[in-house]
Amino acid sequence: MTNDKILLDHGSGGKISHSMFSELILPVFNNPELAKQDDGAILMLGEEKLAFSTDSYVVDPIFFPGGNIGDLAINGTINDIAMCGATPRFISVGLIIEEGLPLADFKTILETMAKAARKAGVKIVTGDTKVVPRGKADKIFINTSGIGVIAPGVNVSGSNARPGDKIIVSGTIADHGIAVLGTREGLKFDSDIKTDSAPLNKMVQSIIDSSCGIHVLRDPTRGGLGTTLNEIAIQSNVGINILESSLPIRGAVRGTCELLGFDPLYIANEGKLIAFVPEKDAQDVLEIIRQDEFGKDAVILGEVTNKDPGRVFLKTLIGGSRIVDMLTGEQLPRIC
Amino acid sequence: MSLKYIDEYRDSDLAKMLVKKIQSVNCKDLRLMEVCGTHTMSIFKHGIRTILPKEITLLSGPGCPVCVTAQKDVDAFVEFARQNNVILTTFGDLIKVPGSGSSLAKEKAEGADVRIVYSVFDAVDIAKQNPDKEVVFCAVGFETTIPTLAATILSAREDGVKNFTIYSANKLTPPALAALMETKGVQIDGFILPGHVSVITGTNAYRGTFEKYNIPSVITGFEPIDILKAILILVQQNATGLPALVNAYPRAVSENGNLKAKTIMNQVFKLCDASWRGIGQIPTSGMELKKEFAAFDAAKKFNMDMPEVSEPAGCACGEILMGLKTPKACKLYKKKCTPMTPVGPCMVSSEGSCAAFYRYS
Ligand code: SF4
Repeated sequence: MTNDKILLDHGSGGKISHSMFSELILPVFNNPELAKQDDGAILMLGEEKLAFSTDSYVVDPIFFPGGNIGDLAINGTINDIAMCGATPRFISVGLIIEEGLPLADFKTILETMAKAARKAGVKIVTGDTKVVPRGKADKIFINTSGIGVIAPGVNVSGSNARPGDKIIVSGTIADHGIAVLGTREGLKFDSDIKTDSAPLNKMVQSIIDSSCGIHVLRDPTRGGLGTTLNEIAIQSNVGINILESSLPIRGAVRGTCELLGFDPLYIANEGKLIAFVPEKDAQDVLEIIRQDEFGKDAVILGEVTNKDPGRVFLKTLIGGSRIVDMLTGEQLPRIC
Repeated sequence: MSLKYIDEYRDSDLAKMLVKKIQSVNCKDLRLMEVCGTHTMSIFKHGIRTILPKEITLLSGPGCPVCVTAQKDVDAFVEFARQNNVILTTFGDLIKVPGSGSSLAKEKAEGADVRIVYSVFDAVDIAKQNPDKEVVFCAVGFETTIPTLAATILSAREDGVKNFTIYSANKLTPPALAALMETKGVQIDGFILPGHVSVITGTNAYRGTFEKYNIPSVITGFEPIDILKAILILVQQNATGLPALVNAYPRAVSENGNLKAKTIMNQVFKLCDASWRGIGQIPTSGMELKKEFAAFDAAKKFNMDMPEVSEPAGCACGEILMGLKTPKACKLYKKKCTPMTPVGPCMVSSEGSCAAFYRYS
């Protein structure tokens, strides 16, 4: 890293964030659990296998179509734990509030958080609040951490993808990022683009409870689907091929992306997962996901190969092919 | 904002048929230049290079506004950002372009008030909301954006906005093509001309260049089918030896273009010489504010006259913009120069050739 200051890019979730993690953070805190770089740490406590994860939310604006920073913060941590193959149980909440935040907004956010936790069946058990002077934070920032339990025999990780695996995405991509951006920039959509923020723990539970094999689970949040697929290709040292014709994108979201020059592959999702499953189980897992209330638009998006390890290719609609790289710049700051 | 129509211009059967036709034309090695960065991006995004016969080389031209912006203009933007009391407004692409010593991203991290806008109208709104600040807009664009800029200035004048100015590094496409054809070593067998620019200028804007150099030229849109059609026409023209200026985008482009837009543009701006990265000064290839709009000219208001500076050592953006080199031939490509550590603007701009190569190939 040649910059001597932190730039917004460092928080993009793309390439620069990754090099910040591996060059600055990991060497200082180094330990095997952290080095795995999954959505949460997987820990043994006696006989119990646990998943532990934390995430901070700085989205701007704090209210957007379909949700607010509160449910985003709860669902985000629930999903990070679920992606470890765990059942999320307990959550902590840290609130950093800017002086002057309307009390009514604060209450709404808390109520949304409580509702989101109830819906997902997790408990908010501890927390902290700090208030900072006006201008020293922007309205409200939220940190959530969570713990979940991993059932015996379950082993999902970004490093488990195998050649031949099919890749399933649980629904349309880029909804969250475009919904937030649209609100922030005052774009007037003629259709209602909403955040997809949702808890995915029940969907994951159903997959795990089935007899199907499951290698990788990830939620493609900041950095988008393109970045997440790259992370898995690198972690598992495999190649990935996806089909543009299978990419599920809402028409209005795609139109907005085209208009503003954004690639939906790099736009954040907050209620989608990708699952890598052995080919023989792919149809079954797809059906299980489609049964879930948040998985109706699930599709098989592509497959894992043993060619070009660490790289992701997209077969385009017109039959060409191109590389899908990790996000290399700040596509949209403060999206979650 | 629903854009359903797009799919018919991405039809895979139609694409295959066009590629077959292109293959069936007996042609020698051909070097075709897509003049505009939007075409470059679309070509990469849709994998068009991967389905064309190997005899056809596509070159990116001088039509990416950020890429052709001279180093001294980038330095000027940085200098504006450093001024006390200035809010610098810009399209996102410029933020990371390295100037001689700094970039807008770095200035922003140092505390400068640099704001990304999606339209110049937003910059005027910022000026209205901050009457005690000076709002400067970095105007970097072609015929596609200049009319909007002109309209914005007219309405700002009408509203009596006194704290809004632009720094104009605007450029025009046809003079650049002529300059290119005059450059030693440049070898181009056909131009793919930008549809959106032509919507404003009309087909006739290219007629002078075409008649002088007699080079196959096709105006087309940005969908893959549009681009493949243009390539087919260029290949056919080369095979028959009968160059023509063809409008393959009649659903949007007319002979004379958008007269209203041109009138507004000429009401506010007048032709001037402009410096282009890598190419240098091209006579009457820029647009500056007319005298009566001097109050909106940031260069005048702030007395900003940056010296001509050389471009970053080793960066081949200039040669790439003229089709003399491809990014992979640049010694710094993927080594010292990446989107995270860009040396030249072609690696930063979302329409830059180096960025496209890096990202998609
Ligand atoms: S790779 Fe970098 S240094 Fe080389 S031409 Fe492109 S922008 Fe310039």
